Amino acid sequence: MIGRRRVVALLVLTALLLLTLDLRGVAGLNVARSGFVQVMAPIETAARVVTRPVVNAWRAVTTFDELREENLDLREQVDAQRGNEIAARNAIIENQQLRALNALESLTDIPSVTAAIIGESPSNIDQVVEIDRGRRDGVQVGMAVANEAGLIGKVTAVFENSSLVMLVTDARYAVEVKVVSADTGSDADEPVTEATVPSGLTMSELEEIAAAQETSAGSDGSDDLSADPGGDDVELDPFEADAAVRRALAEAGAAAPEVAELVTLATANEVALADLVGSLGGAQLAVRVAREIIEARAEMGTSVGRPQGEATDVVLRETGALRGQGSGRLPQVDFVVSTPSLAELQVGDFVLTAGGRTSLAPPDIPVGTVANIIASPGSAGSQLEIFPAPDLSSLRFVRILLYKPSVEINQ
Amino acid sequence: MILGVLRGPIGRLIAVGIILLAIQNSLLIDVKPAGVVIQVMLAFSAAAGVVGGADSGVLAGFVLGILYDLGTGTPLGLSALSMALAGLVGASMTLLNIEPQWWLNAIFVALGSAAGELANPLLRTLIGESGLIGSYLITVVAVVALSAAVLSPLLTRLARWALRISSAELRLPEPVE
Repeated sequence: MIGRRRVVALLVLTALLLLTLDLRGVAGLNVARSGFVQVMAPIETAARVVTRPVVNAWRAVTTFDELREENLDLREQVDAQRGNEIAARNAIIENQQLRALNALESLTDIPSVTAAIIGESPSNIDQVVEIDRGRRDGVQVGMAVANEAGLIGKVTAVFENSSLVMLVTDARYAVEVKVVSADTGSDADEPVTEATVPSGLTMSELEEIAAAQETSAGSDGSDDLSADPGGDDVELDPFEADAAVRRALAEAGAAAPEVAELVTLATANEVALADLVGSLGGAQLAVRVAREIIEARAEMGTSVGRPQGEATDVVLRETGALRGQGSGRLPQVDFVVSTPSLAELQVGDFVLTAGGRTSLAPPDIPVGTVANIIASPGSAGSQLEIFPAPDLSSLRFVRILLYKPSVEINQ
Repeated sequence: MILGVLRGPIGRLIAVGIILLAIQNSLLIDVKPAGVVIQVMLAFSAAAGVVGGADSGVLAGFVLGILYDLGTGTPLGLSALSMALAGLVGASMTLLNIEPQWWLNAIFVALGSAAGELANPLLRTLIGESGLIGSYLITVVAVVALSAAVLSPLLTRLARWALRISSAELRLPEPVE
């Protein structure tokens, strides 16, 4: 008969042995774990169904006040965001066109799998959720996970039909990020919305340009802007027409410094699109179309394009490593590259993934905003506390980005 | 031989462990007092130690810990160690050599759970994980211990069934060797 102390010692030693083997990545243990998860899945589903009334009752008691306040806040936010919807849609289209033109990497180019959250870690330490997509759906360990708001975390374990996702708040999580800012010099709390064309020029600016060109042409007699150069009505997309205006004015108004200055504000995709429509009639047609667009918009009273004062020049400020800090604490960014000459860091700056050849997360996924700046003495640089963009406490659906870093693709 | 093992306490412990794991992964991740997840498997291990002594507590902790690690993706053997510790601390009640009372059981189940919950981040720090130890652990350990005490009447009965311990045996606790 084995003594009791020996039994205790034997079990402890067995646990230590298993721990060592697991940390060394023995494949057999992963197979056992995967099999056990498969077996447990229906049991856990049944448990969820059975315990749902208790959970609902608990939530009703504990979150009633919170939900009521949140509901009021959300109603206000919805009202406020309706005004920005048109501008946002336009910005997305413009961004996609620009990326397509320049063959840039974009989240829309990366294949992804949508997954539902089916569980959370029962631990008080781990910040991990379980999703209903696994190896069968092409999910691999390390893949970035995001939702419409931004980065959620990364896949840390993959089973046949499910996976575990470590959230950005987990103390073991780390990812390369960059801090950028939409530095417009205006007060962000008091946005000024003015009707603009997609390039950001206001209608009054375009009217002035058109008037200036007309006057200029009339005075030297070299260019009759009121004439119809094509003779036929030409239908142009407003976006293209705007670009055509820029391009044509650049050609026709080289002598006018104010026009040249405005043309320099045109974005790259507008110049590229202007190339596509450049043969449609030159300056005369462009200015005429611009006038028509201005008049039509004035009659409709619509505001097209981004509001004045929004991001036009995105400034890269710092790059660094974002690390989770565990439950109830905001993730922090420790800087590995400090370039204070670029600009001063500010609370509210945007944080995006940096990407890179070896990074498992593609570039430009929104991570959050700077919540606090912690100055560190010496050469270590500042530490930033980041308020995550997604609400990690109420996740429902996520996207797993089936992305591989360029290093792996080239292999 | 395998059938013999399954018919004994280990078979019952596995059955109880699977049910508790399902509850842990469903009900208890939503019902979180003060934002803390109640650790029912840890509490059960401590309860097994309280009613069955050190070897039963460690055995229950080991079996439930392995199930927990397999089901949640934590390093295999880590929760087995912390839950075995919970069983061992729970079993220290037998050192008092007095007839167990419900409130005494509750205290030792709470103590065992607190020890196990505290051991988990410490063990994980030992294997190289960082950032797990902080002031938040005070709240976590307190809530886990309190909830274990509340659940102890139920869990000690369940542990007695799983370990095949009769009421008569409970009245004469055997001291730890």
